[in-house]
Amino acid sequence: MKKILALVLTLTMVFALSVPAFAAEPQVEVFWYEESDVYLSTVRAELNNELDALGVKYNNQFAGTDQAKQLDQIRTAIYGGANLLVVNVVTSGDPDTAQAILDEAGDIPVIFFNRAIGTDGTDNEVLDAAEAACFIGTDAPEAGHMQGKMVGDYVLANYEDIDLNGDGEISYAMFKGQEGNVEAIYRTQFGQEDADAILTEAGKPALVYFDAENTDKYQVDLDGAWSAKAATEYMDTNLVTYNEANGNMIELVICNNDGMAEGVVASLQKAGYNIDDGHVVPVFGVDATDNAKALIADGAMTGTVKQDNVGMAQAIALTVQAVLDGAAPVDALAALNDERFTIAPDCAGKLFVAYAPYTGE
Amino acid sequence: MDQNVLLKMVDITKTFPGVKALDHVSLTVEKGTVHALMGENGAGKSTLMKCLFGIYGKDDGHIYLNGEEIDFKSSKEALDNGVAMVHQELNQALKRSVMDNIWLGRYPKIAGIAVDERKMYKDTMAVFKELEIDVDPHRIMSTMPVSQRQMVEIAKAVSYNSKVIVFDEPTSSLTEEEVEHLFKIINMLRDRGVGIIYISHKMAEIKRISDYITVMRDGQWVATERAEDLEMADIIRLMVGRELTNQFPPKTNTPGETYLEVKNITGMYNHLRDVSFSARRGEVLGLAGLDSSGRTETLESIFGVRTRKEGEVYLDGKRCFNRDPGESIKNGFALLTEERRATGIFSILNIRENTVISSLKRHLRFGLWLSDKSQREDTQRYIDALRTKTPTQETKIRALSGGNQQKVIIGRWLLTEPDVLLLDEPTRGIDVGAKYEIYQLILDLANKGKTVIMVSSEMPELLGVCDRIVVMSGGRVAGEVDARNTTQEEIMTLAAKYV
Amino acid sequence: MANPIANLQRISAEYSQMDKKDKRRFWTDGILNNALYILMLAFCIYTAIKQPNFVSWGSLGNLVVQVAAYLPMALGIAGCIVLTGTDLSAGRVCGLTAAVTGVFLQKSDFANKMFTSLPEVNGWWIAVTLLTVIAIGALIGLVNGFFVAKFSLHPFIVTLSTQLITYGIILWFFALNGNNGQPISGLSAEYKDFVGGELFRLGPARIPMYVLYAVILTALMWFIWNKTSFGKNMFAVGSNAEAARVSGVNVFWTTVLVHTLAGAMYGYSGFVEGYRAGSIAASTGLNYECDAIAACVIGGVSFVGGTGKISGIVLGVVILRIIFIALTMLGVDSSSLYIIKGAIILCACSLDMRKYLVKK
Repeated sequence: MKKILALVLTLTMVFALSVPAFAAEPQVEVFWYEESDVYLSTVRAELNNELDALGVKYNNQFAGTDQAKQLDQIRTAIYGGANLLVVNVVTSGDPDTAQAILDEAGDIPVIFFNRAIGTDGTDNEVLDAAEAACFIGTDAPEAGHMQGKMVGDYVLANYEDIDLNGDGEISYAMFKGQEGNVEAIYRTQFGQEDADAILTEAGKPALVYFDAENTDKYQVDLDGAWSAKAATEYMDTNLVTYNEANGNMIELVICNNDGMAEGVVASLQKAGYNIDDGHVVPVFGVDATDNAKALIADGAMTGTVKQDNVGMAQAIALTVQAVLDGAAPVDALAALNDERFTIAPDCAGKLFVAYAPYTGE
Repeated sequence: MDQNVLLKMVDITKTFPGVKALDHVSLTVEKGTVHALMGENGAGKSTLMKCLFGIYGKDDGHIYLNGEEIDFKSSKEALDNGVAMVHQELNQALKRSVMDNIWLGRYPKIAGIAVDERKMYKDTMAVFKELEIDVDPHRIMSTMPVSQRQMVEIAKAVSYNSKVIVFDEPTSSLTEEEVEHLFKIINMLRDRGVGIIYISHKMAEIKRISDYITVMRDGQWVATERAEDLEMADIIRLMVGRELTNQFPPKTNTPGETYLEVKNITGMYNHLRDVSFSARRGEVLGLAGLDSSGRTETLESIFGVRTRKEGEVYLDGKRCFNRDPGESIKNGFALLTEERRATGIFSILNIRENTVISSLKRHLRFGLWLSDKSQREDTQRYIDALRTKTPTQETKIRALSGGNQQKVIIGRWLLTEPDVLLLDEPTRGIDVGAKYEIYQLILDLANKGKTVIMVSSEMPELLGVCDRIVVMSGGRVAGEVDARNTTQEEIMTLAAKYV
Repeated sequence: MANPIANLQRISAEYSQMDKKDKRRFWTDGILNNALYILMLAFCIYTAIKQPNFVSWGSLGNLVVQVAAYLPMALGIAGCIVLTGTDLSAGRVCGLTAAVTGVFLQKSDFANKMFTSLPEVNGWWIAVTLLTVIAIGALIGLVNGFFVAKFSLHPFIVTLSTQLITYGIILWFFALNGNNGQPISGLSAEYKDFVGGELFRLGPARIPMYVLYAVILTALMWFIWNKTSFGKNMFAVGSNAEAARVSGVNVFWTTVLVHTLAGAMYGYSGFVEGYRAGSIAASTGLNYECDAIAACVIGGVSFVGGTGKISGIVLGVVILRIIFIALTMLGVDSSSLYIIKGAIILCACSLDMRKYLVKK
């Protein structure tokens, strides 16, 4: 009985194959690396609005941090008649992944966004070679540089306040969102290096990582999800050993994104910091999510780098519209005329949405 | 109705497919007496008790408690009405504490929500004090010896204010000292007016503790007498008391020279002690004894399922180590286990898979794959030879009757071409017709020169099929008799030797 | 079931002799026992109407490709389920072997090659890599099996432990030689050809080589399950371990081997995974075992133990992929996707258990 039904099932599919495929209406498929990323959720909300306004038929799909699954989704969408792919890749920083997606897509245009598809110009090769692809994102190192400068300036201006144990050095903690992600790597690197540069120039000692045993000088979300949860758990654990009573309290926290910064703030607040009149351990993030802005307004968080979600969503939506109207992606990018957007100097297929430091309205 | 009568069971009848398990059995228990219930294995004692507790629904008859008719649907309901049972196999939550077990299902509550641990403890201590039991209510059951766990079970029955308490083989795993304590408690309960039903095989105990004795046989009531009016011999006569009818095939086998020798087997994790016997080619050797006399353990020790502390097995004068079943099979042994469901059949696999599992090597081609054809042929051969009734070889074995399942497993073992067959209760749960076929099969095997060792709780079966019978008692060999000129009385006496 | 036509004739002959009540039971039983397939059929028809592209050569090719990718792991894990166990380490083992594959088979001129001393990628080296990763998978499986069999630990606990240990090894591996946790990429063209070279085309869909390998592996597993003593013993142990022991089956080795074989299959899955994802990240393989277990269960490999067929596993994987593809094409959002998938597994298992319950 089972076999017969399976047979019928297969036959139905095969018979139906003779039905000619429809000439499909415009159909945009948007692929996200996972569903719960805080900043990307804000981008998605804006993008949905923009695409609704354009009247385009679109689907959001989530890969759950699984690149192979995303490729399956992309392949399926292609056979499902999609004629424009908007992709937030899972495995960031590796041009081979982008190439695999482009190979699947064939003639169908692909707009990559947010998560970088390569480092050190390897992505330029891929984008240059592909006729119907472009990247809309941020200049990966920029956020790191901006965060580093913000941290440096702030620490310099408030040195005595920050130095809780008065030893003349600032001990800091660094939270990395994901191993192997380009943006995470740059932010982790420049967030501290640029701050040090400012401090040493002013004759102050460089920042000191709080845990001398840890040679990485960062703690990373092992699930690669840039999550508040991971940051809270790390910070809770850190505070057991490193606290004021022991004279080795963490005096500054730098996070790869606002999600993790929120987690750190939550942990600090449990320990009696960053509330009402208590001492504020400066916490820095990136993205300027609504939650982070609210925390900064309350004084519980110190600064973030505004990753422009509205700008990002608008850039994507405008490009989508232009491509659907028949423009090549590269031309579509060039046609965007807005001071928030800049074409990368070394690659015509790459558009950067500008960052801005944010320390409150 | 007599003022003193507490429990009255009248004309209880219970039929299972093909078997009349109880045939108009009556039992009356008076206040403040101990009433012993006796009979061979399978006489219907347990079935009668299960009808009382509603584990089985009775087909016919009435049960009265204090003159009111009752019909319990579950042991819980029976407990709530003051009828309790101390089981032979204790059903306890071993990982929980003593008091958890006693108050299971009726925990005292604070405000109807939280369990009142303090009250539980206090109440438990009260019962323990009354019964002179020295056990910490917080102790975890699994850390206590069986005897103490049994005391807990009794305490539980008392805590329900039980009017009738059934003891099912309560002393089978107790030391003499513990038995004394148990009897003290039973006497105490009797003095308080509790009616006690006491099921046991042990004659001496019965004579000591009971006021009345009821004997059952083959699902029928045989006699109820005052204990002091019965001698041990009378009891045995009443229990056995039946003529052997023509339910066995004629014996045609002639035992040859000694083939299997078992020397001084002592169990590592069981009570076997110094078990020795020998068996010849073409002989059917019976192993008789009461439950837990060590018969099953003996077979399993020979086959390497149980660990031996000491002891050797010789086949034709050559030592066989039989460290595990695989090795035993290679050495030409086969074991038909007692618990067909638990250790015999693969219930969700089909007849063929059940048949060939022990002899897969026979079907191996070029050392690579198994031939379906030869598997099918072998299976068919034994379906035909044993006259197994099954629609196809692909039928799942659980769909067959007990007798046919047993035939499939016998077929499985015959395919390993064994020289020694160890059969543990080969006819248990099998209807009469099928039994005859299995007896015939056993004799045929003996005729072919195989050595058969057969454990059975049905004495007529042993007398009818075996050549010699080794009687076990309390983990030891109590004696050996020639099946042709012995009596059930003799075997029973031997079986009680070390209990 | 050997001859469907004869079988159908037998059923219709029986049917004509039934009374009214039996006829009704025949239909309700028939519908309930095959409810999953009937539902799937209805679901496919619905999808085809809503999204005509669902039934096209390209879509069929896509289904075949996806089934081929998910099948090997399901085939491996099925053995563990037949033994009434499970294997939670499957996904991570796949991730580890994928990483090893990637490192072994990076282009020799790739700038970020992790181990520059490795030889040039050629046919031999690919074979060595394949055998190595299968051996790594088998080794972890062996550890699983050993602890399950030797200490009678529940496979859930053992494989949960090895899952964590394996992930630790993965993280350590990704940090080697200054790689700093970055994804492993720059996979050589020879490897990509070996795994993903075009076998043939089904309409617009390229059918890669690994579809062929999946077919071979399925045949191999079918052979092992049905034609070897090991396979028979596995079912016996899963059905009744105690009876198997008394019957002379070496329960210990059977258990160890089932897990080892499963591990080898994960090793192979990892080998293919590198090609499928384009590159390998530390998170590769996360939760892969969930889909594999779900496929087995949907395909009738029951946690009751001792039952299951290779054809069932294939069918289970196909059904899961059809659900995935259809819902993706219908543009169902991810929350509903998870709900539907969960409901189908629940429904499949309930219907499956029903078969074991009614006979009592």
